[in-house]
Amino acid sequence: MKLDRRTFIKGAGAGTAGCVFATLPGSLAALGQTGLSGSAESVASICEMCSTRCPISARVVNGKNVSILGNKKAKSFGGAVCARGGAGHSQLYDKQRIVKPLKRVGERGEGKWAEIEWDEAYAIIAENLNKIKAQHGAESVAFSSKSGSLSGHLFHLAKAFGSPNTFTHASTCPAGYVVAAKAIFGGKVKRDLSNSKYIINFGHNLYEGINMSETRGMMNAQMEKGAKLVVFEPRFSIVADKADEWYAIKPGTDVAVALAICHTLIEDDLYDKAFVAQYVAGFDAFAQEVKAYTPEWAESVSDVPAEDIRRITHEYAAAAPHAVVDFGHRSSFTTEEFEMRRALYAANVLIGNIERKGGLYFGKKASKYNKFAGEKVAPTLAKPGVEGMPSIDAKRIDMVDDQYALLWSSGGIYQTILDATLEAKPYQLHGWVMSRTNPMQTMTDRARIVETMQKLDFIVACDIYISESAAYADIFLPESTYLERDEEIVDKSGKNPAYYVRQRVVDTIGDTKPSWMIWKELANQLGQGLYFPWDNMETLQLFQVDKDAALLNTIKRDGWVSYGKPLMLREREMVKTFTDTYPNAKAVDDDGTYASQLSFKTPSGKIELSSDKVEQMAPGRGVIRYREVTMKKADELFFIQGKVAVHTNAGTQNVPMLANLMSDNAVWIHPITAGLLNIANGDAIRIYNATGSEEGHALVTPGIRPDTVFAYMGCGSKNKELARATGKGVHCGNLLPHITSPVTGMNLHTTGVKIAKL
Amino acid sequence: MTKRYVLVHDENKCIGCQACNVACRSENNVPESVTRLQVRIEGPYGNFPHLHFKYNRVSCEQCENAPCVKVCPTGAAYVNADGIVSINENKCVGCLYCVAACPYKVRFINPETRVPDKCDFCKETRLARGEDPACVSVCPTQALVFGDANDLNSEVRKVLDTKPHYQQKVNLGTEPRVYRIPSRKGGIKA
Repeated sequence: MKLDRRTFIKGAGAGTAGCVFATLPGSLAALGQTGLSGSAESVASICEMCSTRCPISARVVNGKNVSILGNKKAKSFGGAVCARGGAGHSQLYDKQRIVKPLKRVGERGEGKWAEIEWDEAYAIIAENLNKIKAQHGAESVAFSSKSGSLSGHLFHLAKAFGSPNTFTHASTCPAGYVVAAKAIFGGKVKRDLSNSKYIINFGHNLYEGINMSETRGMMNAQMEKGAKLVVFEPRFSIVADKADEWYAIKPGTDVAVALAICHTLIEDDLYDKAFVAQYVAGFDAFAQEVKAYTPEWAESVSDVPAEDIRRITHEYAAAAPHAVVDFGHRSSFTTEEFEMRRALYAANVLIGNIERKGGLYFGKKASKYNKFAGEKVAPTLAKPGVEGMPSIDAKRIDMVDDQYALLWSSGGIYQTILDATLEAKPYQLHGWVMSRTNPMQTMTDRARIVETMQKLDFIVACDIYISESAAYADIFLPESTYLERDEEIVDKSGKNPAYYVRQRVVDTIGDTKPSWMIWKELANQLGQGLYFPWDNMETLQLFQVDKDAALLNTIKRDGWVSYGKPLMLREREMVKTFTDTYPNAKAVDDDGTYASQLSFKTPSGKIELSSDKVEQMAPGRGVIRYREVTMKKADELFFIQGKVAVHTNAGTQNVPMLANLMSDNAVWIHPITAGLLNIANGDAIRIYNATGSEEGHALVTPGIRPDTVFAYMGCGSKNKELARATGKGVHCGNLLPHITSPVTGMNLHTTGVKIAKL
Repeated sequence: MTKRYVLVHDENKCIGCQACNVACRSENNVPESVTRLQVRIEGPYGNFPHLHFKYNRVSCEQCENAPCVKVCPTGAAYVNADGIVSINENKCVGCLYCVAACPYKVRFINPETRVPDKCDFCKETRLARGEDPACVSVCPTQALVFGDANDLNSEVRKVLDTKPHYQQKVNLGTEPRVYRIPSRKGGIKA
């Protein structure tokens, strides 16, 4: 090396750039660097750095790295990609990524692993699972996976194996709003933020928990179209900063403000009476109940001034129907989630914004859209079904109480795996097969999950890294990342039908496999191969398009295909454009809309503001009602969590580029509270309660209520395999109690804590 | 000078998500220990409940009157015909004068090439292909507008002509070509 001034500078800087870690068996580092090969031409695909799954366009650059940009064909995504999406390549060739099957050789969680071949992994799994099945029944094995994409393949394996116990992460994240929508509308609804003129938001932090098309839509509505945004959130988040008005609402009292908005809409005669008369069942009982929920009452509960609730409600009604109350996403603020999410939906129903621009609407998939058009505008996708699947007599472990019936087909109550394992409620579990899920972080009461995983006979984990949960597995199966996988075509219909597809960009790195292949090969070993009659992913894709190779090629080439014109049934202009385009379209109503065609999959066929079905499932809950909840002791502070734009929950803390951006989560404390506790900014602190105790650092900021502390979730992993994340920051799941909310089955993300300076 | 490339950062639309930061790092192979571009979320400023954050883009300001160019003893630091402050690696002797002279603290020594480095609007890669810089193309909320300010029909010209904007440290006479649309909340901290 030439020794000049520039060389000297390089030497001086090298110390800070280096990253030293012990080589982990099965990691890319252990296997030695393999070259990067793949498509030098852009391939349209789908991101998987979070569950939004944005359409992307990616290519291998000079055999060294991967360029990942948004797919411009998907208009509402605008060709954009967030920090996590842009860092996907950093996960792909991270030296700490696991690329070889592993077998535990120490105690569970001890971190001692040995590399094995796939055949051996399958043989060990099949032997253990079949032994459990023979001794205790197939139902004593639970199967869980992050929902979406390939989770269906794992759940198909579960059914072939004979277990009804399949779980997604739903009850730890979105189930609250999904279950409430099922009860009120009979199914999920979408929000048209980009056309909204007035948006009321209860802590749905779309500017940190980025959902690309919604985030873009809301910003566009705010900045280009003059929409007003009102945010109720205990913390000064980015969405609170971007709001026109921010109210630091007391944690867990959102339902009170939502009900007071409904009260004001009805009592001040601001609601859409014609809409209610035509589409709503159970209005009278609801109106009777909300009579008591005055803004003054809500102020006493929530700290939001009554006059502001009243004024905001009037402004909201004035913008109707092009206004919306956002029903949120990660929804477990309190155990009263069901009432809260229903109250948020009710505030939308009352202004009649359903199927109106800027309000709520139903997805228009091809079959529905084509019926309206009177012609085949968009192709429909076939769903492969396998005949002669084994019948399963055993009940799911979460089928102990009918009040949770709406959740059984939407992911189930994930945390019942703990009760079934530790207390044999309703029966004993013996095995757990998990894929891309990290309950140690995302569920609650970490200690109880450790206890559960120590007690089970056999655990399999399939993932990209050895997550905190996978660290307790007996066998670890390394999955190919999304950049190395082909998958089924996905329906992404919004106001009109759309499809997109994930495609391989990079040749498989190391000895990894896509999980659809892993579960198929495992099924062969288990003796259930006959239930997996497809050869490969292309077989499945061709089945979806009914062997229409041209269609499949189009979807693959463009990566995103949409059909027809946007349609909202009660928007006259949109319906006119639609009927002008399709001469055989269904006849319109007298007012030029499809209003009379709007129907709901509820027992009454109407929007059920009050529900007999819910009353039967959960006596006392037919009508939306406020119930006081106690989430902390008097001498504790509220502890709340949220998302940050550079990480996805607990999934990305070890990705090099993202770890470099943020690897710690300081605890937000108000200056007054910090002063009382003698805590200065940056001080080491202990945060603790009856569930657990964590050490971290204080961020003293006025951006939080004095009675509340906040931390971004996902940090503080405790297993040594996640070298960049372990021991950094506060582990939120270790502080949250194991509680299941009524009806929604949600676990709880708000609790009480004490803080002490270390 | 036929072209005058400028960048506008709208602090109202920016959410500090670091998509630009990551895209820049990926596009330009920026080593882990250094950075060409960050958006710093500063604050919150103000008094409860009237708080606000500042979204501060930190990257080369592409000064018309660039101190880094003035102090360079070999001419390695120069302003290209398109207005982009550039670096000729072959002429660089690594004296670090430019790093010290930059009033915005956005020049650094690239630990791999051993040459001063900074944002160049992706001129060798994306700009050469007729594409927007990486940060502009990925921005989730369209907070960045890039273009030739000499082109009266350009989007960037329109934005500069119609929206209030400011530049940082104008008192130094550097005439930055990165413009900022101030947040509608709070004051301007240039």
